[in-house]
Amino acid sequence: MSQSNRINGGLIDRSQTWDFTFNGKKMQGHPGDTLASALIANGQKLVGRSFKYHRPRGIFTAGSEEPNALVQLRAGAHQEPNTRATVAELFDGLTATSQNHRGPLEYDFMAVTDFLSPFLSAGFYYKTFMWPKAFWEKIYEPIIRSSAGLGSLSMKEDPDSYDKGFLHCDLLVIGAGPSGLSAALTAARSGARVILADEDFRPGGRLNSETLEVDGMSGSDWAAHTVAELSAMDNVRLMTRTTVYGAYDHGTYGALEKCTDHLASSGGKPRQILWRIYSKRAVLAAGATERPIAFGNNDRPGVMMASAVRTYVNRFGATPGQQVAVFTNNDDGWRTAKDLADKGVEVNAVIDTRNQPPVIEIPGARYHRDAKVRDTIGRKGIKAITLADDQVIPVDCLAVSGGWNPNVHLTCHQRGRPEWRDDINAFVPGGVLPVGMTVAGAANGQLSLASALQEGHDQAAAQLKDIGIKVAKAKLPQAEDEARESVAFWHVKESDKRAWVDLQNDVTVKDVKLANHEGFRSVELLKRYTTMGMATDQGKTSNISGLAILAEEAGKTIPEVGTTIFRPPYTPVPMGALGGRARGKDFRPYRLTPSHKWAEANGGSFVTVGNWMRAEWYTRGNEKGWRDSVDREVQMTRNSVGICDVTTLGKIDVQGKDAAAFLNKVYANGFAKLDVGKVRYGIMLREDGICYDDGTTARMSENHYVMTTTTANAVLVFRRMEFARQCLWPNMDVHLISTTDGWAQFAVAGPNARNLLRKVVDDEHDMSNEAFPFMACGEVTICGGMPARLFRISFSGELAYEIAVPARYGNSMMSVLNEAGAEFDACPYGTEALGVMRIEKGHAAGNELNGQTTAHNLGMGRMVSQKKECIGNVLSQRPELVRDDAIKLMGFKPVNPETKLIAGSHFINKGAEANMDNDQGWMTSVAYSPILGHSIGLGFIKSGDTRKGEIVRAVSPLHGTEMEVEICSAHFIDPEGERLRA
Amino acid sequence: MPEFTLTAEPPLMGLNETFGDMVLRAPADMAIVSIALPLGGEEAALKAIKAAYGVAMPEVGQMATSKGGETLMRMSMDQGFVVFTHPTPDANAIVNAKLKGKAYTTDQTDVWCALELSGATSRDALERICPLDLHDAGFAVGEAKRTMMEHLGTIIARTDTDTWLLMSGSSSAGSFLHAIETSIKNVS
Repeated sequence: MSQSNRINGGLIDRSQTWDFTFNGKKMQGHPGDTLASALIANGQKLVGRSFKYHRPRGIFTAGSEEPNALVQLRAGAHQEPNTRATVAELFDGLTATSQNHRGPLEYDFMAVTDFLSPFLSAGFYYKTFMWPKAFWEKIYEPIIRSSAGLGSLSMKEDPDSYDKGFLHCDLLVIGAGPSGLSAALTAARSGARVILADEDFRPGGRLNSETLEVDGMSGSDWAAHTVAELSAMDNVRLMTRTTVYGAYDHGTYGALEKCTDHLASSGGKPRQILWRIYSKRAVLAAGATERPIAFGNNDRPGVMMASAVRTYVNRFGATPGQQVAVFTNNDDGWRTAKDLADKGVEVNAVIDTRNQPPVIEIPGARYHRDAKVRDTIGRKGIKAITLADDQVIPVDCLAVSGGWNPNVHLTCHQRGRPEWRDDINAFVPGGVLPVGMTVAGAANGQLSLASALQEGHDQAAAQLKDIGIKVAKAKLPQAEDEARESVAFWHVKESDKRAWVDLQNDVTVKDVKLANHEGFRSVELLKRYTTMGMATDQGKTSNISGLAILAEEAGKTIPEVGTTIFRPPYTPVPMGALGGRARGKDFRPYRLTPSHKWAEANGGSFVTVGNWMRAEWYTRGNEKGWRDSVDREVQMTRNSVGICDVTTLGKIDVQGKDAAAFLNKVYANGFAKLDVGKVRYGIMLREDGICYDDGTTARMSENHYVMTTTTANAVLVFRRMEFARQCLWPNMDVHLISTTDGWAQFAVAGPNARNLLRKVVDDEHDMSNEAFPFMACGEVTICGGMPARLFRISFSGELAYEIAVPARYGNSMMSVLNEAGAEFDACPYGTEALGVMRIEKGHAAGNELNGQTTAHNLGMGRMVSQKKECIGNVLSQRPELVRDDAIKLMGFKPVNPETKLIAGSHFINKGAEANMDNDQGWMTSVAYSPILGHSIGLGFIKSGDTRKGEIVRAVSPLHGTEMEVEICSAHFIDPEGERLRA
Repeated sequence: MPEFTLTAEPPLMGLNETFGDMVLRAPADMAIVSIALPLGGEEAALKAIKAAYGVAMPEVGQMATSKGGETLMRMSMDQGFVVFTHPTPDANAIVNAKLKGKAYTTDQTDVWCALELSGATSRDALERICPLDLHDAGFAVGEAKRTMMEHLGTIIARTDTDTWLLMSGSSSAGSFLHAIETSIKNVS
């Protein structure tokens, strides 16, 4: 079989012949073909099996609305299921396979379901698989899913890459059919920045499928000329293979560009690009979709949309049949008969539901007026049709036209509701359209060529005027208004066989009637109950027919029934394209600490903390597990000195004459009187009085403060402070700027911290306890003049400093500190040891500041000043938040020292039942303390400060564990703070 | 002679790559100092800036270059950057001295990493990552704007017809470079 149905003409390049395979069968086509047109040219009628009944199906349309011809393209990891053959461009070497059948396509074992159809009506699954309940997930659903469905995934990682991008324009024209080209031409000639996007690889829309003329030349020639003019203009971006799939806020549109799908290989470039288009204005010129008429066995291969038959004949030079009949309720359907006859294809009948003289004389065709097709014959391909008066007409293709539906989808993406127009028996855009959008041409119900061209121009001109661009005068393209009369006719009532409404989901007229009968009368319920309008085609050929039948059955008008809501995407968008580049290790950006390289070279194991990669511990020698390293790091630090990169903590530079007063307002505790050269710990409250961050702020000079925040809240604190500065107290002279990345900061902690730093800090700086006591800060120089900042603060509870150097010196600084510390047996420590030491010291961290707790709960209630105006202090005094029996942060140790505490355990009094009513609080943080030799924990418990020494149960139903713990001080180590002041 | 010395390792140090007609490089020794205009002292501060650099602080989103090659970049109503070539870590002291205390300054040199992308198709590459309108009509030479690229806060400045200066957080320099390189490779 070699292109047996190829006929003359068309917009394909016959100078080249390409090979492709379908189900392993070798076939040939030409550049300019789609897979569908090539299959038709090769006489391949049967291309797939239906979703539910496994009915043989053929190509139904010639566009993105295709419900039937879904295939798997390519092989191996590149395999893509559910691709519409009608929009898949042919390339040399393409491989396609049919889907949803067991055994060969021609002899699908699952076709047995078709004979069970009397039992499989709408709602069958809901009604049948009710019992036993547990069977649904494990037995029924897997069986149903394996028998009903579409294509399958390769289950391999997608080897292609995808990209995203951003575009801007004055006018976005969606669709490059006659109205779109006309709109783009008007805007482009007026000097506007235009983006013209079309899903097809050949711009022109229906102009390429019809024999109508524009400006005295064929429509396709006019389109080609127009495209050439537009392509040569700098202010125009012509985007073919690009579907604008969604209309979003403020004139923003989503578009999918298929860059390499038409090539055998992507060549390492992104296969598809997901564009975000920012438009000042948009003209939707999405055209219209022809709709079918439902009649008995109207789903057989060879039953096609009349306009699609024209497309294959005129654009692709391929005829879907050699003996064709046309069934129509409108004038447009007649053009299919005429174009076929003009190409020499036999048209043996035109069946018009209307009782009127022929629209066009078709040589050789018998005209049946006021007639209907009742049934079809031919299981794997139509062989004959039966009319309502029982006449049987042999055909191998039936072209059906039930009128046209404007493609209103994008007008509905922000809840616009289409309006019904009786004169064209279709919905047109209505209600509130997305901001900046107007609609032109067939999408707006202007179904003739001349009116579409005119409206494209008019809408573009109006849009340009609206944004202050003068419209250039130019002669409008001229065409005739072709005959477009139609009547409302949805289904053939004389049919006693199943009549398909939705081919993709196997929904029949009977199913729609059943849904209404069973009470699913809203169009939204009809959709869910029958599945009509779901899946890849989103009911582009079925929705309106379905709701018209529902209206008829319910005794309502079509506008009364209304449509379901159209939502993005207009056509399917692959998950890969939505993900774009955000895959694998590039899923999100990474932030590296300044000492990352040093850490990598010195046994650092990394943990992600937000976007940061922090060293969690540094493995040494023969340490076998993380506990070995962490225990050692804690002990070495407490015994001598440890070094930790704490750069990730947020740093905010605060300057201004009112900086002190400002800090006094954003911190809950007092900051008005902090001396220069001193650091203070502070807590920040939300407006509702909940504690949300803590940190330190150092006064470097009269009007200059350096604030630190927690790593997690660095951005949030900065944002809230900017808000406070700009909106709450705009009259304060305060200036903020982040310096988090600018300074590499290291904690140097342990009894030998001072001795270590003395080797690094230049001699002129007095490091003695008297000159530089606990909570001192200052600008210093190190290593012979390098500017640095020194803070005497301690998170570990040890004698400790934090020293900061410009970040570019951070990696070197880590190396220097370790080298200088060698004589003290210094060690680097990671976040785990840091966590252990802060728990030993009883310092709160993210687990304790979890967005539910107050300063009162944290045992810092007295820090919240009521003598000043600050964020959160008023609402922190709500009675419920300051009750005496409020939860308090306490320490917990296991009664049996061998027991390992579990974070998240809830505290229950001894003897009480472990339930929510008896809940006393919960364990927030736990660690093994190598200093104490047992597990320790921090947690909140009711009236904790008065219950020291009491034994309660720590219950974790999740782990199925329970243990006795003793309530103690949260300060396990050095409760008096002697070490840190040493 | 101090016992220890520190060496500078800026995250993108020495980067210089060519992709077709595009060149991507990391400007060496780029110092950045922020200048905040005191509330009520704006006039005096602007005067001091003009006196120090010979050019006025530009409008928000604009850049101005001094005879000495320093670039002033106005980022907001009360904040701007001065960008200049200076290898040692004392940029803040230098700017502070020049302004004679009339404005608040903060060293931003190590807060940022910078990439300069140039070439006739550089806009095609940036289109894949930059949400802003990069067309002449929306982004003239001499403008500097804040935006996000691949989740990273970025300042993008158009320093010449086909030359763009990109600045993003130094801690995420590796991810930023990867994002820019990917954009370039995808279009070249």
